[in-house]
Amino acid sequence: MIIRAKFFKKGYLRYISHLDLMRLFHRTFNKAKIPIGYSEGFNPHPKFSIANPLALGIESDEEYIDIELDNMEVEDFIEKMNLVLPKDVQIIEGKSIEKGETIDSLISWAHYEIEFELKENIEGFGENLMKWLQRDEINIDKIRRKKKKEIKRVENIRPLIGNLTVKEIHEKNVVLNTLLKAGSNGNLKPMDLVEAMNRDMELKIDLQSMDIRRTGQYAEKDNNIFKPL
Amino acid sequence: MINIKTLDKILKKVEKPARYIGMEQNSIEKDISNAKVKFAFSFPDIYDVGMSHLGLHILYNLINNEKDYVCERVFAPWTDMEEEMRKENLPLFTLESKEEVKNFDFLGFTLQYEMSYTNILNILDLSDIPLRAKDRGDNAPLVIAGGPCAYNPEPLAEFIDFFVIGEGEEITLEILKLYEKHKAENWSKDRFLEDIATMEGIYVPKFYQVVYNEDNTIKERKVLNSTAPEKIKKRMVKDLNTMFSPESMVVPYIETVHDRVIMEIFRGCTRGCRFCQAGMIYRPVREKSVDRLVELAENLVENTGYENVSLSSLSSCDYSELHLLIEKLMENFEEKKVGVSLPSLRLDSFIVDILQEIEKVRKSGLTFAPEAGSQRLRDVINKGVTEEDLVNTVTRIFREGWSTVKLYFMIGLPTETDEDVLGIRDLAYKVKDIFFETPKEQRKGNLKITASASCFVPKPFTPFQWLGQDSIEEFYRKAYLVKNNIKDNKIKFTFHDPKLSYLEAIISRGDRKISELILKAWEMGCKFDGWSEHFKYDTWIEVMEELGIDGDFYALRNRDLEENLPWDFIDPGVSKEYLKREYNKSLGEKITDDCRISCNACGIVDCTMRGYKF
Ligand code: SF4
Repeated sequence: MIIRAKFFKKGYLRYISHLDLMRLFHRTFNKAKIPIGYSEGFNPHPKFSIANPLALGIESDEEYIDIELDNMEVEDFIEKMNLVLPKDVQIIEGKSIEKGETIDSLISWAHYEIEFELKENIEGFGENLMKWLQRDEINIDKIRRKKKKEIKRVENIRPLIGNLTVKEIHEKNVVLNTLLKAGSNGNLKPMDLVEAMNRDMELKIDLQSMDIRRTGQYAEKDNNIFKPL
Repeated sequence: MINIKTLDKILKKVEKPARYIGMEQNSIEKDISNAKVKFAFSFPDIYDVGMSHLGLHILYNLINNEKDYVCERVFAPWTDMEEEMRKENLPLFTLESKEEVKNFDFLGFTLQYEMSYTNILNILDLSDIPLRAKDRGDNAPLVIAGGPCAYNPEPLAEFIDFFVIGEGEEITLEILKLYEKHKAENWSKDRFLEDIATMEGIYVPKFYQVVYNEDNTIKERKVLNSTAPEKIKKRMVKDLNTMFSPESMVVPYIETVHDRVIMEIFRGCTRGCRFCQAGMIYRPVREKSVDRLVELAENLVENTGYENVSLSSLSSCDYSELHLLIEKLMENFEEKKVGVSLPSLRLDSFIVDILQEIEKVRKSGLTFAPEAGSQRLRDVINKGVTEEDLVNTVTRIFREGWSTVKLYFMIGLPTETDEDVLGIRDLAYKVKDIFFETPKEQRKGNLKITASASCFVPKPFTPFQWLGQDSIEEFYRKAYLVKNNIKDNKIKFTFHDPKLSYLEAIISRGDRKISELILKAWEMGCKFDGWSEHFKYDTWIEVMEELGIDGDFYALRNRDLEENLPWDFIDPGVSKEYLKREYNKSLGEKITDDCRISCNACGIVDCTMRGYKF
């Protein structure tokens, strides 16, 4: 059977990488005695995948994982896992699903809340932002490493921004909500969005002290956006 | 607690922030405000290295098992983290409760490597704790240190309130209990030090004075306080089966040096290699029973979720019931997909059977340590392996499908000639020939031989403690002699930095004057000296010149057998007579038997090895 589960990753645990998180789940399956499936072959590895890897330092309310395992009650699974998982990574809900599209290919949008400080009070930040969004093209440089060469490519990220709104402005403190494309058919990292904004609107944001939180992830079918659980 | 907002801000900027967050599985968070004794345990290197150290897991669990005591961890922050912390004025904190280190009762360092000593000063400084013991008043934490390098405590005498000599499983709680008692009465650091100085295994440097001769050798040691003993006896646990052994380990989020259960199977070593300090100071051999180990392994795997158990000890293949142990472990772990590994390998073919058993699927690389290139030199250092052993073992492992072999050597060993040095090349070539003589249908993969040479550092409490080290130039000459004579792309030769080994030799056989050198070097920016990208050799040399310290005096000088050595007041169990005997035998190229064949009267009292027949 396959269990699809939703979990959060917050607090200090946002500082562990995607790879660390994979290892954490792997060990947790062992420790919680989950009858997880293993791949065949020379070097068998457990069958599970976590969709849309989260960058280091970002909290998330909704992460998704698919796990292949021998029969087990979903409630039982959640209870056993949560006993072993640290308190900042806990499974919220889960259900048994049919073999079909994997969670990785399903996720196509992610919603974020982004909080940062402006260097000074900026008049009309909201209007400027809307103007910026009206551009047809917002280009960023994407650098890809291939062997030892760096390949630079210009990418227009405007189509990857589903929406972007100001949630709160309190003096220099700004909170944005945004829906960004995710997955293999176009993917925009919130960091890249803010960098482009910072550059075009000349905001001088302290990029490193920015707080980003992923608040939801969605699948898309026939122009409908829905939650994968 | 430190300012968490500031920490948060910093964590976003540094590499591998998970080094600083704690919260791992099996880490223990207690309410420290209720604790009677708060102990900060520090491994003076980065998290990734320190978390692979077994001793940390032992003491951490040992102390935290006591209801009223708390043990929390602190490591050396990597340079990027340090920079941010200094910029933001964030003091060093423990991983568990994010409490400032300076608010703990103890700060205990484990001394595994001399080149981490500057990190100790850096940790004190980042914690806002005065570096010199004499500058720390009644309210500062007691700064203590133990571990193998504490057998020569003198280079750190200036900074450490007291040292713990020997094994920590029993004495640690005795120390904390005595402290608790003193705290409940009327606390005075001096009174406590006077009291603890009477405890076997404790060395309080400030109760002693060293008088030097004009030639800088030691004239005498004066005991300044009537409670302090003249000789400090090492502490040793008698029975490893009843001794505290952790049933769980903290499991790091990030990948560390050893991502697996580390399980100690025995302590000590019977082989008597003359260069090996561990082999001398951990005598005698004491084993854990197979039953106890099976039980421990089971619990450790259960509690960590790890999929590999690494058996740890010196010369692991010497465990008397290794076959039985491996068999039982494999039987238990088969279903759970848990593997077993042995880190240090011996050069005889008996191990191949064991390897067969544990490496059922993967034929990863194998490591052997002939240590010296010629039989003559192996006799000098009493490394009891022969070329025949190597040939037999390698022949078999190639037939079983292995193709990657690492060979460890040392250069600069006593009495070494160029012929001995070139023996390294010869052995590597021999291994290559054996591979190609293996019938084609039996061998697998591409042959890869790595021969690596470290530069010999004579250590205290070994038969070579009196000997001068090779000079840096001589090390380079010998290393290149081998390197330039290996012309085969299947064989790679690498060697360790001779400059680092020179410094290591100075510090490991240093006296109290070396404290100033370490302090000054740290002030000039030295830290993480064991990391080649941070090692500042030129700075160390400049500082020595400035202080008038002659490095060659410590590293290169041959000592007279009757000279007072800085560490002579420590009693490690083996006698100085035995070490002298071994020294003389080595020069005569005479080997000494393994203790299991016959006792060599090394001076260990109540030795459990003696008369033990296998
Ligand atoms: S007393 Fe004898 S058997 Fe025991 S460690 Fe010393 S030499 Fe070996």
